[in-house]
Amino acid sequence: MNNSKQQIKKKVKKHIPKDWLLELRIVYRIVMETFNDIKRTGIVNLVIITTMAAILTIFGALFRTTLSVSAFAHELGNVLEISVYLKPGADANAVTKRIKKIEHVQKVKIIPKESSWSDLKRGIDIPDIENPLPDTLHVKIDKPQNINEVFGKIKSLSVVADMSYAQELAKKIQFLNQVVNTTTVFVVIIVAILSITIINNTIQLVIQSRKDEIEIMRLMGVSNWYIKIPLIMQGALYGFMGAVVALIPLNIVQNMLTNVHKFFMIPNPLFASNIVIITIFFVGILFGAGGSFLSIKKHLQV
Amino acid sequence: MIQLRSVTKKYKNSYALKNVNLDILSGEFVFIVGSSGAGKSTLMKLLYKEETPSSGTVMIGGINIANLPSDKVPNLRRCMGIVFQDYKLLQNQTVYDNIAYVIRTLGISSKEINARVLGALKVVGLSDKMQAKPSELSGGEQQRVSIARAIVNGPPLLIADEPTGNLDPKNSLEVMQILDQINQRGITVIISTHDNAMVDYFRKRVITLDKGEVVRDIQAGTYEQ
Repeated sequence: MNNSKQQIKKKVKKHIPKDWLLELRIVYRIVMETFNDIKRTGIVNLVIITTMAAILTIFGALFRTTLSVSAFAHELGNVLEISVYLKPGADANAVTKRIKKIEHVQKVKIIPKESSWSDLKRGIDIPDIENPLPDTLHVKIDKPQNINEVFGKIKSLSVVADMSYAQELAKKIQFLNQVVNTTTVFVVIIVAILSITIINNTIQLVIQSRKDEIEIMRLMGVSNWYIKIPLIMQGALYGFMGAVVALIPLNIVQNMLTNVHKFFMIPNPLFASNIVIITIFFVGILFGAGGSFLSIKKHLQV
Repeated sequence: MIQLRSVTKKYKNSYALKNVNLDILSGEFVFIVGSSGAGKSTLMKLLYKEETPSSGTVMIGGINIANLPSDKVPNLRRCMGIVFQDYKLLQNQTVYDNIAYVIRTLGISSKEINARVLGALKVVGLSDKMQAKPSELSGGEQQRVSIARAIVNGPPLLIADEPTGNLDPKNSLEVMQILDQINQRGITVIISTHDNAMVDYFRKRVITLDKGEVVRDIQAGTYEQ
């Protein structure tokens, strides 16, 4: 029964000439409908776009700062080294080979005791005595959080007399990284809640002001999606416009941070500006459309 | 075309329709009459799926619309024209745009839309008012716009719920004459009304409802008998 119905449908479809422009016209009319809705919202549009821009600016600035702080932390982490003092008579080259095999070790540099001694004598006035310094190895680690693990492994070697590293600095960098990451997560959550709430309320107002019109459209057989899509696009457009406006203050923030990077001679994170711009547009459009969608689900009975 | 079988619509503690059985053939002109609260509007709403029966089947064109999923309801409504007592026109749009609105959403070309709208305006005699806003028209003219909107998509069925309820006798007659002309083109017309003068004048099939039940069904009948 169902099969025969489907066959009849197929046959009927075959005989109807396909109008390829049909879908394009529908898309065009939905877009026009969206712009009409925005036009009718009037001055309220400015308030919503400004608010969205402010939220996205705060988010964008913090996100950009996060990228910079991460770059700083990474850079400082790179300069962290463990100094390993070898026992007299130990073969520095053999120890270096063994240490290089340890996980997370990036580089090992041998500082011969003669070199250390001459450096020391150059800095301070020391009487002419026998060199008391041991051979030293400078061990570079991939990430600050791995220092403790590598430190323990090297210390267990029998040829090692003593070791040292900037433990406090490593801890501080690790802590700063954690704080920045946690703050970013919180900011994303707050931005999501704020922008969704604002768009949600705006679209609710639009739905209420157009209640009669939507009712008529529904009764006349206008498709549900034809009623819904312009409202979702309106929310998404608020997010997009908010992101466009946010580009102006964000540009200032980007320039300031670039100067900070230059001052400390730490390279700007790769593509930081582009990443921030793409992210605020993505967040703005996603949360704008999302807020609108939630409002439609709650307030639009079609 | 339309078959109602054992249709009952129950609201909390009262019955709007009770065990209604009806057959309406394609091309018929039917008046549904009865006093206020008799169930006329509920019956009309069942036909355009604004309400769902508590029990029974409502078959239109061989499909039981009582089980129709909500996303298919717009398709059903586009296959019929609906006229309301309060016209339900978009006040901020012109007569032309009001009539064109639904067919625009179907992706039809502007040329085709124009031809259809002008044709519908000609049927209701409002070709000279296409750029007017509804607020600039009389009640009778607004109802005629609403009829033009109902027929613009060429539906086989037209449902009018109290179309003359807000009109004076002269305008009521004009509106009914237009609906009669539309019926003569082969479109099934179902009108709910308590305008006894119109029912008596046109002498069509009259179905009388009382307390949700069909108490009378007469061909070429009048309001009272």
